[in-house]
Amino acid sequence: MTPVPATSGPTEAPLLVLRGVTKRFPGVVALDDVDLAVRAGRVHGLVGENGAGKSTLLKIVAGADRPDAGTVQLDGRAMSFAAPREALAVGITVIYQELSLVPQLGAEANIFLGMEPARHGILDRATSSARARAALDTLGADFDPQTPTGELSVAEQQLVELARALARDARLIALDEPTAALSHLETERLFDQVRRLCARGIAVVFVSHRLEEIRRLADDITVLRDGRRVFSGAVADVDDAGIIRHMVGRDVEYARLPSAAPGAGEPLLDVRALARGRAFADVSLSVRPGEIVGLAGLVGAGRTEVARCIAGADRPDAGGMTLAGSPFHPASPRDAIARGVVYLPEDRKTQGLVLGMSVRENVTLAALERFSRFGVIQSKSEGEAASRQTGVVELRPPDIEREAGTLSGGNQQKVVLAKWLLTDAALLIFDEPTRGVDVATKVELHRLIRSLADAGKAILVISSELPEILALADRIVVMREGRVAGELAGSGATAERVLALALPASHAA
Amino acid sequence: MNAPRSARFGVPLVLAGLVLVAGVLIPGFMSRANLTTILLHVSINGIIALGSTFVIITAGIDLSVGSVVGLAGVLTAATLTSGEVLRLLGPGGAALAAGVVGIAAGAAVGLLNGSIVARLGVAPFIVTLATMTAARGAARLVTGGVPIGFPDPGDPLYAGKVAALDALHTVGGGRIPVPGLPTGFPGPALVMLALIALGAFVLTRTRFGRHVYAVGGNEEASRLSGVAVGRVKLATYAISGGCAGLAAVLLVGQLRSGGPDAGMLYELNAIAAAVIGGTSLFGGIGTAWGALTGALLIGVLNNGLDLLGVQSFWQEIAKGVIILLAVLFDVWMKRADARRRARAGRT
Repeated sequence: MTPVPATSGPTEAPLLVLRGVTKRFPGVVALDDVDLAVRAGRVHGLVGENGAGKSTLLKIVAGADRPDAGTVQLDGRAMSFAAPREALAVGITVIYQELSLVPQLGAEANIFLGMEPARHGILDRATSSARARAALDTLGADFDPQTPTGELSVAEQQLVELARALARDARLIALDEPTAALSHLETERLFDQVRRLCARGIAVVFVSHRLEEIRRLADDITVLRDGRRVFSGAVADVDDAGIIRHMVGRDVEYARLPSAAPGAGEPLLDVRALARGRAFADVSLSVRPGEIVGLAGLVGAGRTEVARCIAGADRPDAGGMTLAGSPFHPASPRDAIARGVVYLPEDRKTQGLVLGMSVRENVTLAALERFSRFGVIQSKSEGEAASRQTGVVELRPPDIEREAGTLSGGNQQKVVLAKWLLTDAALLIFDEPTRGVDVATKVELHRLIRSLADAGKAILVISSELPEILALADRIVVMREGRVAGELAGSGATAERVLALALPASHAA
Repeated sequence: MNAPRSARFGVPLVLAGLVLVAGVLIPGFMSRANLTTILLHVSINGIIALGSTFVIITAGIDLSVGSVVGLAGVLTAATLTSGEVLRLLGPGGAALAAGVVGIAAGAAVGLLNGSIVARLGVAPFIVTLATMTAARGAARLVTGGVPIGFPDPGDPLYAGKVAALDALHTVGGGRIPVPGLPTGFPGPALVMLALIALGAFVLTRTRFGRHVYAVGGNEEASRLSGVAVGRVKLATYAISGGCAGLAAVLLVGQLRSGGPDAGMLYELNAIAAAVIGGTSLFGGIGTAWGALTGALLIGVLNNGLDLLGVQSFWQEIAKGVIILLAVLFDVWMKRADARRRARAGRT
C-alpha cells in the first residue's frame, strides 16, 4: 500500500477519480456520465436534490453497486469492486445514514468487527482495546468503549463508525448526510472531527442537504442533478444562490409565507405546565385555529416528547391540556385522533407509513371506518378518497397503487399528510416535516402547511431547520433542555434571536 | 396487493406442475376418488393454517394450535358422549353442542394467548409455547390419558352415544352426494373451502383485515394512525384458536373419538402450509388462499409419494425440502423487493 502523506495540497493528483460513471436501473438512469475527483486531505461536498444520484454514487464508491459504464480509480489504479469488503480493503469507507453497528456490542467490538485482532482464534483483547482507545482518542471521544453502542447517542455512534474507519487505515471516508440527526453542538463536534481526519491526509466526501454546512466544511463541491454532474469546483468560487440554481436548475424562493387570516380568538389547544419524566417540565403553550406555531429548539430539547404527549402516544406525568375548551387527556393516539388531533412523526419510515402497503392503503388507514359498511371496505369510495387526497398534496406520480416504500422522502411525507387530511383533523402536529426532502418539495410542503392553516386548521410545527420555522411560523415557542425558554412573534423573529433562546446558557452569545 | 408475486403465482404454479407430473406418472392419482381424498386429508391442516395465517401476518406465531386440537377434541368428545347432554338435547343436539364447545374451547385458548401477547407484550413464541404445553396437559388431565369415544357395548347409554357420534360424523366424515362423484364430496373439505373463502374476504375486503396487514407491516405507524393494535392481535389469536377448535370438532367427527394426544405437531404443519403459501414470518404479507395452496402442496406431495409406495420416512424428508425451498423463495423475493426499493428510494 502506498504511504499516506501527512498533508497534501490541491495541486497533487486526486486520490479517487471517477470517470464517465453511468448506472442504469429499470426505467431510470441514476447516474449519467458522472466525473468526480476527490483529493487527499480535503473535504469534498456532494449535494443534490433527492433522486439526484448521490446515494447511487456513494454505493458505487463503496463497492455496493457496480457501474454500467465508466471507471473508478484509486491512486491512478483502476478499481473494480465486487463487494463492499473489497473497497474497505483498499481504504474506502462509506458511512451511511442508517449506521451499521451491532447495538448490543460495545464500541471496541464494533470497531474491529470482522477484523478482530486474534491469536489462533483467541481474541487479543489488549491489542484491540489499545487500538480502539487510540482511534477514539484521535477523534476526541470520551465514552467507555465497552458501553453497548445502542445506548450511545447518534453522534457518538457516528464517532464509533469514524473510529472504525480509522482503525482500518481508511484513506477515503464518505459520510451520507451525517448531520441529519445531530443537534447544533454535535454537528460542530463532527465538523471538528472531520477536520482532524483531513489533517491526517484522509479524503472526506461529505453529503448534505444543508448548504451552510457545505460552505463551512468543504473545500470542493460537486452538484448532481438528475444523475448528471452539473457543477464541480472549489466552494469558495460559488455562492449559495449559485449552488441552489445548479441543484434545482432554477432560482428557488424560500420566502416567508404570511398568514392569510391571522389566528384570532380562543386557542384550540391549550397546554398548561405539562411535564413528563426527565424529558420536559412546566411546558405551556397554545395553538389557535388558523395559526402555525413553530416549536424550535435543539435536538434533545424535548420538543418531540411534548408533541407525543399531545398526540396521545405518551402520557404526561403532570400538567393539563384543554382542547376547544374542554379537558383533553388522550390515553392513546386513537383517543387523540377521535378528538381531531394528529401527529406526523419525524421518522416516516418507522412511524408514519406501512412501507409494504400501497399509497391508497396508507392514506385511508386512519379513516377506514368512513369507507366501510359493516366492517367491509367499499373499494370504490376508498379509491376515490385516496385519489382526491393525493391530488390535494400533489403526489407525483399520482399512482395510488404504488407501494409506499418505493417513494422518495418528499412523496412519502405527502402520503402521510394525505392520510391525516382525510381524518378532518383540527390540530396537526408536524415533527420535522421536511427532513430529507429536496428543496423544491420543501417549498411545496411549506405552501401546503400554510394553506391548511388558512383553511382554519391549528398547526404545530417542530423543526430543527431555523429557516423553515422562520418561513412558516406565526408564533415561535423555543424550548431549551426540556423547558420553554421563550416565545417570539413569527414576523419579527430572526435566526439569532431564536438561537439565543435555544442554546444553553453557557453557549449563548 | 399484500402478497408478493411468489404467493400469487409462484407456489400455485409449483402446485399445478406437481399435480400434472403426478397425474402423468402415477396411475390413479387423477381419479376423482383420489382427488377428493387429497382434499379430505388436507382439510384439517388447511383450516388450522388459515388461522395461523392471520396470526403470522401480524408478525406473530401460534404454537399452541396442535395442543388446542387435542384439548378441544377431548372436550368435544366428552360433551358428545355426556349422559346429561344426551338426555337434555338428544343425539343431534348433543352433536351441535359438542361442536360449539370445541370451537369455543379453541377460541378461549386463543383469547388467552392474545391477551397475554397484546396486553402484557410477551413474545408470542413464548406465550404460545407455554399454552401449547399447558393445553396438552389439560387434555390428558380431562381424559386421564385415554381417548373418549366409542362406548362399551354394555354402556346403558350405548345407543344414544353412538347416535351422537354418528351425527357429528355426518359433518366430520360424511360425504355430500355430488353427481359424477361416486364417493361424494368430503364434508370437511367443503368446510375448509368455505372458511378459506371467508378468510380471504375478511383479509382483503374488511377494515379488520386491513388492520391485520397494517399491524404486521408497521406496528408503530399503525398505532399512531389510531389502529387498535392490541385488539387486532387479540382477535387474530382468537381466530387461530377457533380454527383449531373447529378442526378438532371435524377430527372427532371423522374418527368418532377424541384423544388427548391428537393434533401433535399440527402447529408446525400449519405454519409450514402458511409459509409455503407465501405468508412471511416477518409479518405484513400473506393470504388466505396461500394457506390453502400451501396445505394442498403438502397434501399432494404426501398423496403422490403414498401412491408410489414411498416409505413415510422419505415423505418427511421431501416435506422438509419443500418447506426449505419455500422459505428460500420468500427470502429471495424479499431481496428482490429490497433492491427494487433501494432503486426507487435513491437520493
